Order: sequence, then C-alpha cells, then structure tokens
Amino acid sequence: MPVTAEGSVQTVHVHPRARDYPGSFLDGVIPQEAELTCGTRIEPGKSYGFFTDTTLCIGCKACEVACKEWNALPADQIGFTGMSYDNTGGLSANTWRHVAFIEKRGPTGTRQTDQAAFQSGWLMMSDVCKHCHNAPCLEACPTGALFRTEFDTVVVQQDICNGCGYCVPACPFGVVDLNPLDGKAHKCTLCYDRLKGGLEPACAKACPTDSIQFGEVPVLQARAEARVEQLQQLGVAGAHLYGAPEGEGATGGLGHLNAFFLLTERPETYGLPPAPTRPANRVAPGLLAGLATMAGLAVTALALLGGRR
Amino acid sequence: MRDAPGPGPDYDGPTYYDRPSLKPAPFNTTVVGGYIFLAGLAGTAQMLAALAHRARPRGFRRVARTGHALSLLAPTLGASLLIYDLHTPQRFANMLRIFRRTSPMSIGTWVLMAFSGSSIATVAGDWLGRVPGLRWLRPVGRAAELPAAVSGAALGTYTAALLSATSTPLWAAAPRALAVRFGASSVASACAALSLAERQADNHRTARDLDTIALAALGVELAASLACRRRWRALGLHAAEDTPAGAVLMHGGADLVGTAVPMTLHAAALAAPPAASRRGSALGSLAILAGSLCLRIGVLETGDATALRPRESLGFAQPKNLPRR
Ligand code: SF4
Repeated sequence: MPVTAEGSVQTVHVHPRARDYPGSFLDGVIPQEAELTCGTRIEPGKSYGFFTDTTLCIGCKACEVACKEWNALPADQIGFTGMSYDNTGGLSANTWRHVAFIEKRGPTGTRQTDQAAFQSGWLMMSDVCKHCHNAPCLEACPTGALFRTEFDTVVVQQDICNGCGYCVPACPFGVVDLNPLDGKAHKCTLCYDRLKGGLEPACAKACPTDSIQFGEVPVLQARAEARVEQLQQLGVAGAHLYGAPEGEGATGGLGHLNAFFLLTERPETYGLPPAPTRPANRVAPGLLAGLATMAGLAVTALALLGGRR
Repeated sequence: MRDAPGPGPDYDGPTYYDRPSLKPAPFNTTVVGGYIFLAGLAGTAQMLAALAHRARPRGFRRVARTGHALSLLAPTLGASLLIYDLHTPQRFANMLRIFRRTSPMSIGTWVLMAFSGSSIATVAGDWLGRVPGLRWLRPVGRAAELPAAVSGAALGTYTAALLSATSTPLWAAAPRALAVRFGASSVASACAALSLAERQADNHRTARDLDTIALAALGVELAASLACRRRWRALGLHAAEDTPAGAVLMHGGADLVGTAVPMTLHAAALAAPPAASRRGSALGSLAILAGSLCLRIGVLETGDATALRPRESLGFAQPKNLPRR
C-alpha cells in the first residue's frame, strides 16, 4: 500500500516492513538536507565541489557503492584485476567513484622494514571527476551537451550528447568515457539531481570517515589548507594538495579543480598527472601554424603556376 | 607491459599498477584517418583550383574543374565517415547547435559546412553553368571560388589542431609541427590527385607544375616530420617507433612511401622530358596519396598508444614539460 507523506504531492513507496517503524518516516524530502548532513546550504550560483582527504580513506568503497546505487550504474567487470584489492580498476562510463589501493613497498618490492610493526602500508584514495574550473571536456564538446551547471559543476546532458567521443581524449585525467551500449559520454555529475533537491552528493554522504567532504569550494580549500598544516605538524611530510588554484594537478591553465585531493605521495603513485595542461591553449598555435603552412605553400604554388611562359 | 627504454630522459617514477592514466580517443582510426585524409585532399584541391584559375584562367581550366570536382569528396564521403564514427549518429545535427571556439571539432564542423556549401556552388557552376536557364550558376560558382579556397585551406589543416587540443601525449606534444605536417601532406595529396588527372588527359606540362608544387610540399612535410620526431623522442614518447602499427604506418607509410619515395620519383621525373616522365610521376603521385592516408591513421594509432601507456602519459605531464609563459 502506498504511503502518502503529509504535505508532499508525491506518493512514496516504502517496503512493507518499513511500515512497522513509522517513526523512521521522513516528511518527504527534508529541504536543504545537506545543511544537516554536511553543514552546507546548496544554492544556485555558488561553486560546489569535493575535498577528498586520502589520509582519512579506509578503502571501504562505500562511495563507489553509494554512487552506483543512486545513479543506477551497473558493474563494469566481474573478476579479478590481479592487483591489490582493487577490482574496479578505474573510472569509466559506469564507475564515477574509484577507490585506489596502493600498498607501499620499499625499493626491493617488499614491505618496508622501516615501517612500524602492525601498521598497514596502505594508501587509499577515492578518485572522481575533478570538475575542472576550465574543464577540457566541456571546452572540447561540439554539441554543448557538456555544460557548466548553476552549481559550477560539469555535467553531460544525455539528451544532447551524440557520442562524438572528443571529450574522452580531452580530459587530462582519463575520467569521461563513452558507454558503447548507449553511445553517449558519461561521468560524475556531482549528483546534479541531488544538489537540485538540496541533498549532499551520495558518495560524500555515505563516506563514513569524512574522507570525502562536500561543500563550497572556497570553504573546502581553506579547510584543506588547515588540514595540510595539521598533518605537516604531525610529521606527515608528504601531505600536500592536488588541484588547489594553479597548484599541482591544476597547472597549465586549468585554474583549479572543484574536486581536489589531499595526497601524501607524489600524484603519479595514484595514477594522477602532476602537471596536466588545458588543451584549449593549443587550439590557436595549431590552427595558426597550419594556416601559415597553407599560405606559404599557396604562394609557392602561385609563383610556380604563374611563372611558366 | 613495460616498454623498452628508448633514448631520452624517460619516465621511471611510480604509476598505478601500470594502468593507463588517460583514456584513448574512442575514434575508429581507419574511419577518422580516412576523413582527415579526404578533408585534406578535398580542401587543398579547392585551394589549388582557385590558385590555378588565378594564375592562368584559360590554360588551367581543366585543373580548376578537376579541383572543384575533387572538393566534393568532403561533403559526400568525408562527411559520411564523420557521421559513421559518431556513437549516436542520428544526432549528428546536434553539432550545429552551437559554435565553440575552444573546440576544433566545433570549428571544423562549421568549416566543413562553409566548405561544402561553397564547393557545391563551384561544381554547379562548372557542370550546369552552360545549361540554358541555369547560366546564373556560372557567376555564382565563380564567386564561391574564394570562400571555397579559404575554407578549403582551413579544412586541410584544422584536423591537426583537433588532435593537439586533447590530452593525448603524442598529439599534444607538438601542436605546431603536427599542423605543418598535416597541412603540407594535404597539399601534396591534392597535387598528386590533380597530377594523376592531368596525366590521364595527356597534359604533361601542367602535371609537371603540380609535381613541382608537390615536391615543395613534401620537403616541408619531411622537415615537420623530423621536428615531430625530435620532440616526441625528447619527451619519451616512443609509441610511434616501437608499436608495430606505429612503425609500419609512420615510418614505412608516411615517411618512406609518403615522402622519400615520391620525392625521388618526382625529382627524377622532372629531370626527364615531359612525356617520358609519365610513369614515374604517376607512381610518385600514388605513393603520396597512400603515404598521406598512412600518416593520418598512423598519428591516430600511435597517439592512442601513448594515452594507454602510463609511463608515456605521466612522463609527459611533468612540470618540466609545461609550456613556458
Ligand atoms: S576531470 Fe575530466 S571529465 Fe572531469 S571536468 Fe575535468 S576534463 Fe571534464
């Protein structure tokens, strides 16, 4: 039997067992629920993003699961990659959060002996679309399917994308991907639909350690800097930000990354490029050099063709 | 999966289990390579037609007409290949929703539109301009020659900017040299096609002129090819040398068949008396066409390989390789 929540127009279908616990019913969607879950009011016109603090990540993959559940994304591959505990492998059309597992090893490939006993040497990091400030995928898109939302995030409009695939090599982080089944490009939307309803993105809400923090980008940036300082004082010398304005990960004209990270090793360890660039900066040099070549050869041709007799 | 170390300061830092850090372009390399080749040929054929017409309106009438006819390769076969490569082809027209100046794919779409329209007008003027009642097509065709030539020049080279404006290391590494290379290869291929047509019509003198232009273009292409190779090596991008497809297409196809062989043949043919040079010139022209296609497919293939190799992509995305400002 459908239960209609008071004051809401929509009919909410609940599991029969849930009706045994009427106290758990929410009165529809809580307006601005994100204020309760992460202290962030979601309003159009502001810039939102993720701060992913890898020192807090425990590799539980709750973010991966929450993302798949909310966005109804199927599994990519069932099987073993043969490396660590990461059978997800990487981001793809169907995987918008990917938890990387890296077991630190010494130069000989074995466990480092200078590591304290009973301590794990794991680095875990939940990767995601960076929602770049100058987003190369968006700048490459010839249909306008990729657009910047009112929350300063980058989203592919599925009803417009024609699957040209140009955004895929444009992305400096190997994020956006085509799904061969539907012929469209897919990637993290930073839960555009949830933001519209005042909800914190699924991955950030599910993260049990707050390794993934959602919020306004300037607020997150300030928090991240404080966190780096704290870690440095605690002796984590390698702690640094990836994707802070003009910093590592946001080089070459990318500006800054709305989804940025705190790393403790060099970015390549996690498969991230230390110094990516903005592809759009190469449009003018390429076009001008090409046209100059054409002009030069045209003048040569004209001289040769007109010269005879 | 680790690559044999090549010359140059190659990346020897960490990777994530040697998994790719980038995604390669989901283009069908043969289809898109075919389009780039046809667009280059068609665009520059139109440019050469306009130049020939300007140089000697009467003497080069046939070259101009052949150039106009060749330009139709772009709106017909070329556009079909492009649409075929879309993963949702029925939405092709969505390309016309916007113009985006940061996207060479968007720029190229509009260049192709302008080129197709003006090229069809030049051909209509040639083919129908004598039909009574359709004589007005002749001045229209003549007026379309300049826009067709200018958009044709752009069509012959924008594809290099399209590839460079990505994060694929091989394409991003040398935007200027790649554009020069594509442009020169386009000019050579159009000269080759036009020269073949002129030889067919026993017009050896014009064919020799075209072969001379091709020779100049091949010289430029060779220089740009060396510049590309130097830059790729310096950046530790070896896919063009050590992948089988790369070696065959780029070295055997683009450099040997596409430039070295036709340069020799054309030079020899130009030294011989006009009619005697026929076979060498035709062979050289065919080699140019084959090499031009190999170059485009080879650059696409080897670019994808560099995107898939984390040592090449992470090695490329190092602070020392950032453009100086
Ligand atoms: S990380 Fe890639 S997919 Fe995400 S906004 Fe930047 S360019 Fe686009």
